Amino acid sequence: MSKVIQIEQLKKTYHLGKVNVEALRGVSFEINTGEFVSIMGPSGSGKSTLMHIIGCLDYPTGGKYFLSGQDVSKLNDNQLALFRNQKIGFVFQEFNLLPKATILRNVELPLTYNNTNSTNKKRLAAQALEEVGLGDRLKHRPNEISGGEKQRVAIARALVNRPSIILADEPTGNLDSKTGQDIMKMIDKLHDEGNTIILVTHEQEIARYAKRVIHLKDGIIDRDEVIV
Amino acid sequence: MILQSLKIALESLWANKMRSFLSMLGIIIGVGAVIAIVSVGTGSTQQVTSRIANLGSNMITVYPRAPRGQGGRVSGVSSQEKFSLELTDYIKKFCPSVIKVIPVKQVSGRLISDDINVNATILGTNIDYAEVNNYEVDIGNFISENDDGERRQVIVLGSQMAEDLFEDDNPIGKRIKVNCEGKIYMFEVIGVMKEKGGSMGGDLDDRAYIPLSVSMDKLTNSDFVTSYIAQAASSEKASTAVNELKNFMVKFLDDEDQEQFRIISQDEILDTVSSVTATMSIMLGGIAAISLLVGGIGIMNIMLVSVTERTREIGVRKALGARNTHIFFQFLMESLNLTSFGGILGIGFGYAAAYFLSQYGDWPMVIAPLSIGLAFGFALFIGIFFGLYPAMKAAKMNPVDALRYE
Repeated sequence: MSKVIQIEQLKKTYHLGKVNVEALRGVSFEINTGEFVSIMGPSGSGKSTLMHIIGCLDYPTGGKYFLSGQDVSKLNDNQLALFRNQKIGFVFQEFNLLPKATILRNVELPLTYNNTNSTNKKRLAAQALEEVGLGDRLKHRPNEISGGEKQRVAIARALVNRPSIILADEPTGNLDSKTGQDIMKMIDKLHDEGNTIILVTHEQEIARYAKRVIHLKDGIIDRDEVIV
Repeated sequence: MILQSLKIALESLWANKMRSFLSMLGIIIGVGAVIAIVSVGTGSTQQVTSRIANLGSNMITVYPRAPRGQGGRVSGVSSQEKFSLELTDYIKKFCPSVIKVIPVKQVSGRLISDDINVNATILGTNIDYAEVNNYEVDIGNFISENDDGERRQVIVLGSQMAEDLFEDDNPIGKRIKVNCEGKIYMFEVIGVMKEKGGSMGGDLDDRAYIPLSVSMDKLTNSDFVTSYIAQAASSEKASTAVNELKNFMVKFLDDEDQEQFRIISQDEILDTVSSVTATMSIMLGGIAAISLLVGGIGIMNIMLVSVTERTREIGVRKALGARNTHIFFQFLMESLNLTSFGGILGIGFGYAAAYFLSQYGDWPMVIAPLSIGLAFGFALFIGIFFGLYPAMKAAKMNPVDALRYE
């Protein structure tokens, strides 16, 4: 099985005035294509920082990060943007949809930034919304749909470019438990269809949907367990 | 990428219609004001110059200056006492660019018709006066050569004067009394002039005209005239004629310093008027341009607010793969769209304002394409200039911080 993520001795230090905060103090792990991994830890454990680096939103200050065999720490801003666009599908806790755009336009957004022509854009976005069961709501705006539906729109948006990994940051954090379970089932289904999924959470029940849980504590890996 | 940024920018402006319109308002007013003011400037200048040109054809007036002396004593002979009738022929002879010279003798008097009397300026002159002034007779005739030669006591009234004395009656053939320096003379009205309004040296409508010979020999018993009106052969020759006249008068009066006479030409007045209106146009245009600039600062203000307000959106767009240049052009396009739409609406507004002002001021509506181009170009420049900083600020945002922004 090919390795989609290789992380070696990853470090991130923030310089806050005179104080240096070591958010990550040497983290190493690998993730294979098609895996479903949770990254768990209490707040301050460094899991958000790790997620930002995996998501190519931030640079590490030490160590190496290979995404699809490419050394990310050597990429410039534009190449990182391209990587985010092509390799990563984000699902955020706060959904982060553009409030004034229709859900179709929201899902089209990643395609806009790789110059997909407008016919294909519409087709691919509608198809992704179909997959999450919102094929009949294309013209609605985010304020006209429920929280669960918003998160499904966000999942469709993450899927639309067929990325190498789907990176979900507390995807159920803003949802009631019933809707949260529905969303997790949908993510589970995506995994069954062959998508690589990385889930960042602090909730035990949510983390358990994954087949492997990486526990972070104080910037290092505490435990890396496989759930059978 | 630019086209795509344009589309995104348009969508976001459309999503905030009210705010977009309000921030455009400064540009709309600025561009409109520039166009309207420049149009008012050119329109009114055209109106004034055509009025001045209408006053007479290439007229040059020569006056004696009031005598100056020292210690309460008039030194020598006043130049007024050198403006004799013979000068008419001399001027013609020595100034080849002058085709006509008309002597004018100005007298003050009181015109009396039955129980109405009016104080008036009475001009003694000859038949050419009306022609040179582009001054036409409404009813009756102007002074003829025979009237002058035979010293007939006939009088032609300005339109206002006729109305004051006779109201709606036809004055032709009526006899009026003229009280001049305590003596009363009887005159017969032979004509009324058309309304003309202001002219070089006063309102023609308030005056009365009599034969030159009558004014000099009968009313004042003087050998000297008040002024000469010279007509240049053509407008091209007007300034040559002025110089010839000047040289002639300097020699004739032996007056190197040009202290004893004064020459006023239509050209000179036109120059003065157009330089005044040009200054006014520049000044008002400048004020309008400043309002455009203020509008631009307003745009920058709104764009900065918009960038801050949409920090999260910027973060999301970056997470989804937008490059810094995508974000930069998105915001630059927004500000450019604001100013270019504002500019287009402003052109419409300027047109409307120029139209209503031209109706109100009764001058031709002239809109110079240059002023439209300039105002619109300036609006675009402002859109880019004041859009640059907010766009750069948006583009430089760190995606992690932007996503976390509450």
